[in-house]
Amino acid sequence: MNLKTSFFLAYTSIKRGSKGTLVMTILIMTLAYVNLVFISSIFGGIVEAINKESINNQYSNIVIEPEIDKKYIDNKDAIQLIDTVPGIIASSAHYIDSTSISYDEYNDGNDIKKGKWVLKSIDIEDEVKVTEVHNSMIEGSYLESTDRDQIIIGKEIAGGHGGSLEHLSLGGVSVGDKIDVSFSNNIKRTYTVKGIFSVKSTQVDQMAFITKKEMESVLKVHNLASEILVKIDNVGEENIYINEIRNLGLRNEDIKRWDELMGFTSSASSSFIMISLILGIIGTIVAGVTIFIIIFVSVVNKRRQIGILKAIGMRESTIILSFVVQALFYAIVGIVLGVSFILFVLRPLFLANPLDFPVGWVSLKVTFNIIRISNISLLLASLVGGFFPAFRGARESILKSIWG
Amino acid sequence: MIIEVKNLKKTYEGRVPTHALKNINFGIKKGEFVALMGRSGSGKSTLLHQLGLLDTPTSGEIIMNGNNLVLLDEKKKSEFRLKELGYVFQSYALLPELTALESVYLPLMLLGVTKKEYIKKASEMLDKVGLGDRLQHLPREMSGGEQQRVAIARALVNSPAILFADEPTANLDTESSEVILKLFKKLNKEIGQTIVMVTHEPDDKKYVDRVIWLKDGVIES
Ligand SMILES: Nc1ncnc2c1ncn2[C@@H]1O[C@H](COP(=O)(O)OP(=O)(O)OP(=O)(O)O)[C@@H](O)[C@H]1O
Ligand SMILES: [Mg+2]
Repeated sequence: MNLKTSFFLAYTSIKRGSKGTLVMTILIMTLAYVNLVFISSIFGGIVEAINKESINNQYSNIVIEPEIDKKYIDNKDAIQLIDTVPGIIASSAHYIDSTSISYDEYNDGNDIKKGKWVLKSIDIEDEVKVTEVHNSMIEGSYLESTDRDQIIIGKEIAGGHGGSLEHLSLGGVSVGDKIDVSFSNNIKRTYTVKGIFSVKSTQVDQMAFITKKEMESVLKVHNLASEILVKIDNVGEENIYINEIRNLGLRNEDIKRWDELMGFTSSASSSFIMISLILGIIGTIVAGVTIFIIIFVSVVNKRRQIGILKAIGMRESTIILSFVVQALFYAIVGIVLGVSFILFVLRPLFLANPLDFPVGWVSLKVTFNIIRISNISLLLASLVGGFFPAFRGARESILKSIWG
Repeated sequence: MIIEVKNLKKTYEGRVPTHALKNINFGIKKGEFVALMGRSGSGKSTLLHQLGLLDTPTSGEIIMNGNNLVLLDEKKKSEFRLKELGYVFQSYALLPELTALESVYLPLMLLGVTKKEYIKKASEMLDKVGLGDRLQHLPREMSGGEQQRVAIARALVNSPAILFADEPTANLDTESSEVILKLFKKLNKEIGQTIVMVTHEPDDKKYVDRVIWLKDGVIES
């Protein structure tokens, strides 16, 4: 094999060959590459949107629940210390109660709509540091620390906001309306709806919130918690923080990462990853077949030249390599143009205009890993796609190549 | 003898096998300019292909420097063609994407000669065939005769022991043909280049030292 000659032949045939073919080939490679990266990135974006939604509005990063057989987390000293752990941004303790909520639209005792929903209490100052529900009010406003007879409810409870569980809702509650809440200890209270929120998670949209003070007065408890959400600096290092939280004294509490709690949504994510993988493999094969055809046509056109090169003493391997170098050249130019197009055109476009998916706002998640895997895929595809036709062409006998 | 052929046979298998070469025995001396002549279909090209290691004979020996070349493997044959043999085909077998200079230095590049050296040698060779002013021309920018001279320069740039040419002037007009034949004669005289040339033209006899006549795959004289 003579590397220099292979590169020389590849160089001259790219430089002096048909410009139209060259442009078309590079365009096809660029598209094949953009296709690979785009598919992985959009699915990456969907998975990220799902995860973000769970973290921002439901679980934050870590959820602490009481020991088995206990109703509350009662280690008050430890709860106080959670926020002091370096790397933990904030924590928010909730009381949770299963309640029955009813709404008497005309205040006449007739046609009362009711249902069972989860009611949580929040400490406003802590909660806004941990979740994003306060940014998702579609009507009215968020709770304030001093609120006592006010409640905020998700759109699936309120109804009339296009939720997916409309038939179970209160059928169109608005801000200012009064609703009756019956707690699990049979205490009943009436609250004025202060705000209605809508996030992308149906589960969260089926919740209602009151202030901590109000809940403590109903449940007759003080400074306990049914669950504590913990927000940390570095997503991905949840386990480290779980250890630190345990070391604070919460030894037997049930502490989980957000992704352990996702359940259904997480299995949806892994289906998306699977689909993206399959599409990626198909994309790679299509790119490989495209390169195969391009090099095949080139080999057929140069059949006689190949014979002549062999006649003057060029090794088959040198000839094959010259075609493979060409194939790799197309792939590399395709990658460079593709990466530029994605990073400078597609990605900014999507970041500026994310897609409104049911699972969240989806934009392109172009990661270094996606770029790297796509690069390797396209290079491998062009290596294989370039090699086989070149191998066949170069293996033909000299006389056949030259005279048919 | 620079090359010796013993009991060479070539049969093209097919529905009806063609015995293109039946039992060829001859030798060529170093520095000889030999013409291979005979009717169409007599086996001239077939013989040249066997001698030039472009094909594998059915049986027999081709001996150079005491080695039977028929027994070499493909890699060795390829190396042998590069270092010891030169070819000129009937139609100008140039790569359309290479300039005259590039075509000629390609074999030197394969040998691993330095850039400076191969450009110098290839330029000199093109000068020798009268194309010193066409170095940067692509095949499509040259006449048939000029292209054929580029092919000759390419065949000779590695100083092959033998130059093979299969009807090198068949596609050229009388004038261009004469230029090529005179060039062969000159190379044969000046550098003692051994040349084996297939030709149809009885007139070409005047340029060569000896004619080998083929008839139906057998040497007549
Ligand atoms: N690839 C092949 N397969 C089968 N038969 C072949 C093949 N090549 C040549 N022949 C046959 O072998 C014989 C010799 O052919 P060859 O080409 O050597 O003749 P030639 O003397 O060069 O003729 P021409 O002067 O027309 O070039 C012919 O009968 C030809 O038909
Ligand atoms: Mg012939």
